[in-house]
Amino acid sequence: MSTEPQAVSDPQIAELAVLAGLSGMGPRRLRLLLAHLEPENALQVLAHPEQMSEELAALYPVELRNRWATELQSCDLGHVANHCARLGIDAARFGSPKYPAMLLADPVPPAVVFWRGDLSLLSSRRVGIVGTRHPTRSGVATAGTLAQELAEAGVAVVSGLALGIDGAAHRGALSARGRAIAVVGNGPDRPYPRAHTQLWNQVCSEGVLISEWPPGVAPDAYRFPMRNRILAALSEVVVVVESRESGGSLSTVREALVRGVTVMAVPGSLHTRASSGTNQLLCDGAAPVTCTDDVLVALGLNSIRRSDGAHDPRPAVDELGGRILERCRVRPQTLDDLCQGLSITVGVAALALARLERDGWVGETDGWFEVLGAWAGADAYLTPSSSEAIPYGP
Amino acid sequence: MFATVTSASILGAAGHRVTVEVHIGNGLPGFTMVGLPDENCREARDRVRAAILSSGLTWPDRRITVNLAPSRHRKTGTALDLAIAVGVLAANGDIPSTAMTGLGCVGELGLDGSVRPVPGIAPMVGVLGDLDAVVPARSIHEAQRAAGGRVRPVAHLGELVAVLTDSAPWPDHEMVVPEDSADPVADLADVHGQPVARRALEIAAAGSHHMLLVGPPGSGKTMLARRLPGLLPRLEREAAMAVTMIHSAAGVRLPPLGYVDLPPFRAPHHSSSNVALVGGGSHLLRPGEISLAHCGVLFLDELGEFAPSVLDALRQPLEEGVIHVARAQVHADLPARFQLVAATNPCPCGGGPPGACHCDESSRQRYLRRLSGPLMDRFDLRVAVHPPDVDQILTTQDSESSAVVAARVRDVRRISAARSGGTNAELSGASLDQHAPLTSAARAVLRSELERNRLTGRGLHRIRRVARTIADLDGDPEQVIDEIHVAEALSMRAHVHSRVPEIA
Repeated sequence: MSTEPQAVSDPQIAELAVLAGLSGMGPRRLRLLLAHLEPENALQVLAHPEQMSEELAALYPVELRNRWATELQSCDLGHVANHCARLGIDAARFGSPKYPAMLLADPVPPAVVFWRGDLSLLSSRRVGIVGTRHPTRSGVATAGTLAQELAEAGVAVVSGLALGIDGAAHRGALSARGRAIAVVGNGPDRPYPRAHTQLWNQVCSEGVLISEWPPGVAPDAYRFPMRNRILAALSEVVVVVESRESGGSLSTVREALVRGVTVMAVPGSLHTRASSGTNQLLCDGAAPVTCTDDVLVALGLNSIRRSDGAHDPRPAVDELGGRILERCRVRPQTLDDLCQGLSITVGVAALALARLERDGWVGETDGWFEVLGAWAGADAYLTPSSSEAIPYGP
Repeated sequence: MFATVTSASILGAAGHRVTVEVHIGNGLPGFTMVGLPDENCREARDRVRAAILSSGLTWPDRRITVNLAPSRHRKTGTALDLAIAVGVLAANGDIPSTAMTGLGCVGELGLDGSVRPVPGIAPMVGVLGDLDAVVPARSIHEAQRAAGGRVRPVAHLGELVAVLTDSAPWPDHEMVVPEDSADPVADLADVHGQPVARRALEIAAAGSHHMLLVGPPGSGKTMLARRLPGLLPRLEREAAMAVTMIHSAAGVRLPPLGYVDLPPFRAPHHSSSNVALVGGGSHLLRPGEISLAHCGVLFLDELGEFAPSVLDALRQPLEEGVIHVARAQVHADLPARFQLVAATNPCPCGGGPPGACHCDESSRQRYLRRLSGPLMDRFDLRVAVHPPDVDQILTTQDSESSAVVAARVRDVRRISAARSGGTNAELSGASLDQHAPLTSAARAVLRSELERNRLTGRGLHRIRRVARTIADLDGDPEQVIDEIHVAEALSMRAHVHSRVPEIA
């Protein structure tokens, strides 16, 4: 068997990866097992269930023990070790020196943590930015800008690498100083969702990607709520940018509340479904986020700058453009809405919108026009770099 | 013992003259038909025999041979019944053989001797040239437009025999105009709100541009599309005749006067087969929906649900205005110059304001991939249709009616015909600079769109054609395309593809 010369493989990483990858092996069972046995011995014992002490055998159902024994017979430790070494996957078990301190006191701490990248980022200040996978354009821009400004202020951004808000947050953070922490719900060697493959790899190389699941584990639906508890535990403040009335980001909020983590929410329009969840959070007492400073203050940091009065590089709008912007600020408008609301012809409206769009005041999605924030180039978070661009489209 | 009668049959949308030769000779009594008759044709034997007996005449108990010349073409349908019956009677000596000169017979026989209408009367009478056409009494209107000679309507085989033997006068059938049972063309006054969609409809009508309506369910895409024919000018004589021929050949119900002068509107269901849409069949080569929509509108609702092969088959006729249908034995050119209007949802769930769509990106991509590619390129107008406000639906105030819009459409058609001899959609790329010159501001807008990769070279031509129509509608005397016209044309080019890769 060929070995990678440059990669030093720690046998314990492979042992932990194999143990954590057994079917039916959740964080509680694994923690219990590792409390009794060293990983090396645990493998031995599980491979030969007849050797298991009665005390241990009582903890696990017999069919589970038999299944583990069969799975362990076909597993190749050396192969797993090489795989981990090649991808730079590291691991720490509960209680070991490298294990993240903030997870030690967790109600359901992961038994093992796997990561790729620089785990020391966890020692910086951390803010979680989460939200819907179906955001509006302005939601994406908000998440991206917030993450970028936090990263500029030296704060690490924790998120889940999902489509939508999560991806925008990571992109924003990476565009500043690479302080991106991703917590994912599957093996660290399997980029998911596929559209985020490049972002995933970028986080691994410039930030850190954390999972309680070993390499090879598929992104099953039940793993994501479990991932959310780690995401919440690693954050000092969780900011929900956009969320529907129910969804994954609200599960993160619940996990945060259990752990005493501050929850903040970005207020949104009453008319967009993407803001219904965040507006409800505000009703329930979450602190509103109207600018990056709000988050910095919640962290106890000095505010960086007020964006009021900051120079807006965009050309000034004419009188009609102003009236259009005013309407778009209330809620996204269609060309129909604008023609009727302002009693203008389609041509006049189209011309005015074309100018506003060219100057970066509004953005169009499926025939709806939304106001873009004052941040120059907010659209940057929308556009992945070329190689990741639409897998099929024209 | 031998007689010939002139008749006709249908291939594709065109009639073909057929000479029915009948020979009666000695031998075992029997009836043989040769000359590639199809199933319908072959069954004529039993209809003809019963009709002759029912008319009080005798059926010759001898050997009867019928040849349908030219024998290499396949003959379809029942239109040859009347000619075969007359031929048998003439060969048997019941009718003087000279009585048939200068006559052509088309029609199906009933067992009681009645003469019944058949599909394709107009093209069949058309190929009879200056012969007098004997046609079913009920098809008289249809025959008259196409006939070169006189039209002789008969209701019963007996009537025809009486004329041919006793020199009785031709029966005088009253030209009853049946009630028009067709639905009246829908009026634009019923559409409330939706100024953009209304405007797009007007532009599409004025420039004859292909149009795609993109909008959620219930936004009125179908309602809008059905109002397009009401905005189009009536067909000119030549076009109307061509459309009448096709509709007659396909057996589509014709207007009471047997003459189609309103632009047809065809809306085939998305389960339609390839042959149903483009025409064909093993030897009949029946005109398909695209030919029935000749000089009119072909409306494809739920475009994404059509089989990809069916949509691909549309590309050639869209370019050439004609579809060549070929089979091993036969081939035909069917006219198919239609205006394509299609409707689709923006995504499987129907979409809505930003943040409302709950489709995941892969299903969205799958849905839109069917629409992408060359067909999308052929739509000059891709209009986002949004449901009107509740207030507008409930308003009692009438919107502008079709008649008013149609008058503007007529004006633009007249202007464009005077300028280039056709509609604006037909302007060639090379003639755009001459017929649709741009102001520098308009040029700058287009340049920026091209530089941002939001417009392709082909899209540029389409935008310029649409902008030409918009400028014509706005009645600019300068004839120059300005920024506002280009902006409006660009606003009617909804991007039908993945929203934004990242938002996904």
